Amino acid sequence: MAGAGDGYINFYEILGLDEDAKPGEVRKVYRRRMKELVGEIARVEITQQRRARYLLEMAQLNAALLVLRESDTREAYWSERQALIDLEQKWRDAVAEASDGADALRRQFDGRLQTFLSKYCEEWMLAAGQDKECVENSHWDAAHTRHASRILRFYRNDLYQKILERLPYAEVTPPAVDWEERARFVRSALDERN
Amino acid sequence: MLGRKRQAAAADKQVDMELAAKAVAKAACDGDIVNLRFLFGPFSPARTASSERFETQKYSYLLPDDEQEEERSFQDALELVRSRGVWAHIENEWRMSRPPQLPFELVLRLGDHAVRQGKYTSAAQAYEMLRIRARMQALFLEAADESLDHGDIARAVRGYVVASGLEYDYAAFPEPLPKTPDYQMRALVLHGDYPERPEDCLALQETGQFVMTALSYLLMSDETAARLEKRPESVRLAVLKELIECGDPAWDAFARRYREASELKREFAQRIQRAIEARTAAQGASHKNLAGEIDDTLGADPGRIPIALLGREIEDGEWWQYLKELAFLHPAGILFVSRQFIGDREIIVPLYREDSPVARTLGLLPEAAS
Repeated sequence: MAGAGDGYINFYEILGLDEDAKPGEVRKVYRRRMKELVGEIARVEITQQRRARYLLEMAQLNAALLVLRESDTREAYWSERQALIDLEQKWRDAVAEASDGADALRRQFDGRLQTFLSKYCEEWMLAAGQDKECVENSHWDAAHTRHASRILRFYRNDLYQKILERLPYAEVTPPAVDWEERARFVRSALDERN
Repeated sequence: MLGRKRQAAAADKQVDMELAAKAVAKAACDGDIVNLRFLFGPFSPARTASSERFETQKYSYLLPDDEQEEERSFQDALELVRSRGVWAHIENEWRMSRPPQLPFELVLRLGDHAVRQGKYTSAAQAYEMLRIRARMQALFLEAADESLDHGDIARAVRGYVVASGLEYDYAAFPEPLPKTPDYQMRALVLHGDYPERPEDCLALQETGQFVMTALSYLLMSDETAARLEKRPESVRLAVLKELIECGDPAWDAFARRYREASELKREFAQRIQRAIEARTAAQGASHKNLAGEIDDTLGADPGRIPIALLGREIEDGEWWQYLKELAFLHPAGILFVSRQFIGDREIIVPLYREDSPVARTLGLLPEAAS
């Protein structure tokens, strides 16, 4: 079962590095990964789906460099991420104890989650498109930014939904779903108009 | 002072729990997620702390009439509401001063009723709250595929339509929302570029490609349409026909107008041809340009064509206004038109591929009138 902390964007994982990686190592891995990606893009036929995937990968790598290459941005990012994980666990504990404060914690967590995802899955990724080092390595331009806006919004919402899926139910009581019954319902709903 | 009066009024309030139960059952039975949320919201007439009352005329829409109370589906929903665990939970939620937590049994029942009544956005929201929406969509798609395997086109189309209706737009702002039909916008996108050559015309696409474009457009989903890609052309055509005719009860009326518009277009084409021939045969130079001569010869307004297609005139209407109206009234109708300049005026005209069975199957050809 997915635990607290799963799903929050992890720039170290994106680059395949440990959390104690030095800035030099971050740059080195970033350049290698970006070179591989740019090379792959040049080789394959670009379909609409592939374009979206490559754009997202490029944006993720760029944001990872931008956030992790400086110690202040890296520390701020990591502590925000950890605070969110802690808040999620606090909320889960409150739900498990049926505490009165559970709803307030849920709202606080939801707000912080939205802010975190918006910041690191959209703002920083788009900001990386203006950074000289990122632009040089990824050849990011205005056309990329134009296409990326919608893709990143979708990515952010997708992450949000994935995180939401594993969190305690708030709007409804936890459902007990019998999928055989669901299949029967589907069949009867389609038969009904006969 | 008003707050104190309201509090005093609320304190005296007795909620008729029988009415409250019936209101909740009605919302579930009607597949109405908006009303169900309202009934659990802070201003719900079911809450003692709220000054609103079921007995007032403005909330009569929340309560079932005598006819609905006799219906089996309503009685089943009421039985569910009154079942011990569910009712205890509901009453508790009405006492709490925090965002409500709805009983999943009720939300599930509401979603199912919404599907049966074609209220797909409501169903999508209910299933999404339960986190089963994607899987329900998959079940409908599988059932639709299975129906096609057994040759039951009508049932298959129902399945694809429900699955499409349950789609969510996770990129919507400010929050994910059910994806609602937006044929008007999609029609404008399909006809966004003026066709310079025949191959640019949507209506003149090769049959296989046209049918897939049409299915993607009508099902509002490339992924759903792609499930039909490997099916024989005859099956895809049958699905398209069923999709159009089920989704548009007035399709026959549109087909009749389409044939009239096609006839008008043919007349204009013939007049233009005669004008060209007359000019060629004429002695001496004419000071008028060809367009002017055609206008003289025609003596008729090409704007009659889109009016015939739509069935009414849009005053000073541009081609895109006719297209949007057509997409609203007959979504599939825009697949068989094209933008066309006549003189300096741009209109939409009927257009179909002569060797394609699609227009014939849908009753758009002149011989369909006989």
